[in-house]
Amino acid sequence: MKTKKSAGNVLLGNEAMAWGIIEGGATVVASYPGTPSSEIMGAVNGIKSEHGLTIHTEWSVNEKVAFEVALTNSYLGRRSAVMMKQVGLNVALDPLMSSAYTGVEGGFVLIAADDPGPYSSQTEQDSRYLASFAKIPVFDPSSPREAKEMVKRAFDLSEQFEIPVMVRPTTWVCHARQGVPLGRIEGGDGAPTFKKDPQRWAATPRFRYILHKELNRKVREIATKNNPEPVFTPQGAELAVIASGVPYAYAYDVIKAMGQEKRVALYKVDLPYPMGPKIDDLVQNHLQTLILEEPYSVIELQIRCREKVRGRLDLTIPSEGELTPDNVAKAIATILGQEVREIGEPPAGGRKPSLCPGCPHRAAFWALKKALPKGIYPSDIGCYTLGLNLKAVDTCLCMGASINQAAGLYQSFRQAGAEIPPIVATVGDSTFFHAGVPALINSVHQGACFVLLILDNGTVAMTGGQPTPASNGPGKRMEIEKLTEGCGVDFIRVVDPYDVPLLIQLLKEADQYAREEERGVAVIIARHPCLIYGGRDEKREEGEIIIGEECDSCGVCTKRFECPALQEGPQGTPVIVRALCVNCGVCLYVCPQVAIERR
Amino acid sequence: MDLQMVIVGLGGEGIIFMTRVLVEGFYRSGHPVISTETHGMAMRGGSVTSQIKIGDYQSPLIRYGEAGMLLGTSVVEAQRNRPFLREGGTLFMNTDQQGDYCVDATKIAHGLGNPRGGNLVLLGYVLAHLAPAISLEPFLEVVKGLSPERFLSGNVKALQEGWRVALKADKKRRKGKGIRRHG
Ligand code: SF4
Ligand code: SF4
Repeated sequence: MKTKKSAGNVLLGNEAMAWGIIEGGATVVASYPGTPSSEIMGAVNGIKSEHGLTIHTEWSVNEKVAFEVALTNSYLGRRSAVMMKQVGLNVALDPLMSSAYTGVEGGFVLIAADDPGPYSSQTEQDSRYLASFAKIPVFDPSSPREAKEMVKRAFDLSEQFEIPVMVRPTTWVCHARQGVPLGRIEGGDGAPTFKKDPQRWAATPRFRYILHKELNRKVREIATKNNPEPVFTPQGAELAVIASGVPYAYAYDVIKAMGQEKRVALYKVDLPYPMGPKIDDLVQNHLQTLILEEPYSVIELQIRCREKVRGRLDLTIPSEGELTPDNVAKAIATILGQEVREIGEPPAGGRKPSLCPGCPHRAAFWALKKALPKGIYPSDIGCYTLGLNLKAVDTCLCMGASINQAAGLYQSFRQAGAEIPPIVATVGDSTFFHAGVPALINSVHQGACFVLLILDNGTVAMTGGQPTPASNGPGKRMEIEKLTEGCGVDFIRVVDPYDVPLLIQLLKEADQYAREEERGVAVIIARHPCLIYGGRDEKREEGEIIIGEECDSCGVCTKRFECPALQEGPQGTPVIVRALCVNCGVCLYVCPQVAIERR
Repeated sequence: MDLQMVIVGLGGEGIIFMTRVLVEGFYRSGHPVISTETHGMAMRGGSVTSQIKIGDYQSPLIRYGEAGMLLGTSVVEAQRNRPFLREGGTLFMNTDQQGDYCVDATKIAHGLGNPRGGNLVLLGYVLAHLAPAISLEPFLEVVKGLSPERFLSGNVKALQEGWRVALKADKKRRKGKGIRRHG
């Protein structure tokens, strides 16, 4: 059911942060989608159109681009925000490090959303580390309401110290719901003014040294005022828990549920970096201190004397995975010498993730396995990583790596004089724009020979269907055909992956071009709109899909093709789940007995 | 009020809609509330769990053995998630089976001419067990606010009917074991 917008002020954490950005008066907001941060930009755009605001918002081509576009508005004395997921910040690390030195004129807030667990990322890295690495302050909200307030505080702090400021929410802030009071939408900043100052904005190494000194001064000053806030302060507490972010919320609930707020002191850290001197006093004044933070140890490492400190470093808390109310309760109970309530395993079962019924990626992977079964298949980040289930994905490193890894495979085999296997990189359209273009240029220029299968579904599907540079926008639409041609590719074919036989034939031709004839990179663009975010109204052929009598229950369609609409029936014969089947007809090409037909 | 509740079911069943109705309704009733949903990655039809905490809570996650109420839109999911319930907690199920706190919400919704209203019948049924600490009005307001025009009156009726059915069942039970109150 399509629902209307919120009736009250109950907001998702990501929506709350969007309000923080708007109320904070940002005039330029940029982002690249990534779980769990993606809904922030959607909400900013929603508020923008609902209230007729004129702020510039953009889904940029990648995080580095988003960062630099937004940052520059803050060079001009105006407020700006940029949002991304934690691994997205790796892509934007270059401008992050440098902008800490140059500083800003207008408030600049970087929201980097972490994914402890991880639930949908290649690492569970801690963005607060990157804040401390860059020497910029970082807020660590524990709830949606606080996340909104911290975004606004971050703008103020950024402006006061002319320094970029990070806000680092985690999944259970981004995706929690809570009543959040809304404030006034401010008018936004005045006209941009660029104060020419080459020693700052274009500093040479000698001046960079001076900027670094200045940065250190700012950080020291922020640290002096940054001390843990007391929450429970019982007299003579033996244990002090110092926590930030969602682990603070767990600690609060758990200590109360245990009835220990008269015995255990609780302190809350809003700004885990840079920590002030008071935390060392707290540690000295208690028999034991437990530090709760995630996913890594940032507060803990800033404590000078850690003899009495427990946390992730001494493995009181496991040093990987997310914190939970359970392991927080266990740690506190253990330290207090109390009985630990054994908790069951999380509920097993549930279905394993799978591409949607009728997903064009499944058709493309099926064709790939048929055409070049002996191939090596480097792949990339997106829904199509689930091509793993079809055994058509061999590697998944980070955004855009598929193309470089295909080149790496080729160079390695060629250098060794070994027989080169078919190499087929698969990459989604948005990932191709994000980091694939320089990779393709490099591959072509270095003479690598492989097949590049671009899975073009016209959207950033995994994160909720955000637009790509090929979508309609204020400027020109990019065309992947022209782009690959511009990168120097001579073999470019476009095909609808639903036409499985044609795609199989093209893949073989492409492999011949790349491998046997060694003529370079062959590109196939498999273009079909995403079923969820683009193809809903698509016209389908008439007639229902049925399983005929020829079926010998081989299981190819249910296990290897694994369309969720094809499920194993009682005797191992497949049944079609009508509620899920979208009538795409791709399974017609899959059954070796040709038992699946359209009637 | 102090209550932790878990709703379980499958993607596409409207669990998120139910969660929003509850959270916004409690919020409007003046109760502090925080919630969250978990679901599988890029998957339709996978398991969905939503957790709602009403009272002086800071985190949205519920530990095993602490939920006062577990709501299942299907029996399988409800059984699988039973460990969430605390001792004496109540499992509410939408099912055609007989049993305490079982309600055939789907059938009732069909009877109302709103086949998609089963979840709201279940919600009304559950909320009635929290009376008199809460009244249905704020929840009705939220349903009105969140429902698209063409489902509006059907949804309102579904919520009211669930509430009514529960009160009736409660009367019957009262004769036997006495009422069980929550919250
Ligand atoms: S037509 Fe076949 S492949 Fe397509 S959704 Fe239905 S069962 Fe799956
Ligand atoms: S692939 Fe064909 S023969 Fe094999 S189980 Fe499916 S329908 Fe039956």
